[in-house]
Amino acid sequence: MTLDWSVVWDNRWRLIAGAEMTILLTAITMMLALPGGLILALLRLSPLRAVRSATTWFVEFFRATPLILQIYWMFYVLPAAFDIRLSEFATALLGLTLNVSSFNSETFRAGIQSIRPGQWNAGLALGMSKPQVMRKIILPQATLRVLPALASTWVSLFKDTSLVSIIAVADLSYVALKIRSETYRVLEVLTAMAALYCLMGYPQAKLVDWLHRRLKVTE
Amino acid sequence: MSIRTETPTRPRIGSDAAPILSFDNVCKRYGSLDALAGVTFQVNRGEVVCLIGPSGSGKSTLLRCANALESIDGGRVLMDGRDVHDRRTDARNLRRRMGMVFQNFELFPHLTVLRNVAVGPTTVLRMPAAGAAARAMELLRKVGLGDKAAQYPAALSGGQQQRVAIARALAMQPDVMLFDEPTSALDPETIGEVLSVMKRLADEGMTMVVVTHEMDFAKRVGNWIVVFDHGKVVEQGPPRQVFEEPTIQRTRDFLSHLGWHGESLAASDLLVPAPSGSYEHRTSD
Repeated sequence: MTLDWSVVWDNRWRLIAGAEMTILLTAITMMLALPGGLILALLRLSPLRAVRSATTWFVEFFRATPLILQIYWMFYVLPAAFDIRLSEFATALLGLTLNVSSFNSETFRAGIQSIRPGQWNAGLALGMSKPQVMRKIILPQATLRVLPALASTWVSLFKDTSLVSIIAVADLSYVALKIRSETYRVLEVLTAMAALYCLMGYPQAKLVDWLHRRLKVTE
Repeated sequence: MSIRTETPTRPRIGSDAAPILSFDNVCKRYGSLDALAGVTFQVNRGEVVCLIGPSGSGKSTLLRCANALESIDGGRVLMDGRDVHDRRTDARNLRRRMGMVFQNFELFPHLTVLRNVAVGPTTVLRMPAAGAAARAMELLRKVGLGDKAAQYPAALSGGQQQRVAIARALAMQPDVMLFDEPTSALDPETIGEVLSVMKRLADEGMTMVVVTHEMDFAKRVGNWIVVFDHGKVVEQGPPRQVFEEPTIQRTRDFLSHLGWHGESLAASDLLVPAPSGSYEHRTSD
């Protein structure tokens, strides 16, 4: 078998553009899904039962169905049933954001609930309101505690962005698979694609590990 | 069980004015357990009231009902004449006038020692950061921990953490301090430094309610002793009366169980090493 790596080199600018789209999607999704997850987590801890159960249904739906289905659904059903027309990019972003927000909300909720009740009492005893205790005392500790979990969600998200290729968003997967079908150089193109994902993903995972070590709070 | 509240030979401290805290038939149930079964006593301004009694007798629960960290099922708690548990009362306004010190310190692990003390004034009193930091630093020096301001709580010993917790409560300039077994979680060698800070606070005239198993402290520093058993006050009075001539068999059993046989202790027994650093009297407030 002869390998022809020139296919990869010749298409380098397309692959790089695809990689940029992958990074862009990951970054924007996470920027939206961190506050999104936090809001969902706070809603799930609301004293109002109706708010709690509505949020629970929402979160569980997005956690229990495949991301590929969610993306397809938004791509086909939103325009057909609700006459909501979004670009492919916006559709991809919406699907990813709702999905990752749901996972992040569970992470935040676990973190918030892991803080012992005595910390609440200490804040309340100083005369703080519940929102003040949440903001100043509970959330900073909870966030630090769940940073590793958020980090692995981030890395999963980075890889899962490949699913948006099904609705023709030109991310790294879409571009690579397209080059493959144009050139029939399956082995070279898929290997290059794997190398690019790995090159980008590994430093991200390491960066978050480092952040976690740096910010670690000991008790 | 009868409750004796004999008029002491000397008038009770602060008895010429309205009490700062009064508990009137306070009841608290956890399921079928009567944690508090009608507790009545008062705390006057300037007094150090020590709550003693066996574990599970309701002392700590009562303290948490005092600042509405726990709800109550009957009776009333009045703070400076205002009903703490009334729905129309803003509990936050009353809580910030009651400093609370917890058994497990409950310092905020993500904040430096200085910010632990300053966070109350900046958040609740909306004090500017610089002013709050200055007040926090002054209080840390008072409890002998000025050199630890930049550390995180995890780097401190238990006794040091509890002194920070006292400074944190004092930063709100409370009218009364509530201590919930402040030395129970401490290593024996650091108990003294905390009791010493508390004694000096009492000497400055701070009103204090102290749940404690430290009988020496209760006897030497307390002005009024309230004995709890099974969610009730079984006896109360000045220390001399409660410790030397307890009228109730239950009190005698409890004290002898702790190895207290009514003997007078020398004043030096409360001698506790002073914390490193000074604890000057407050010059202004």
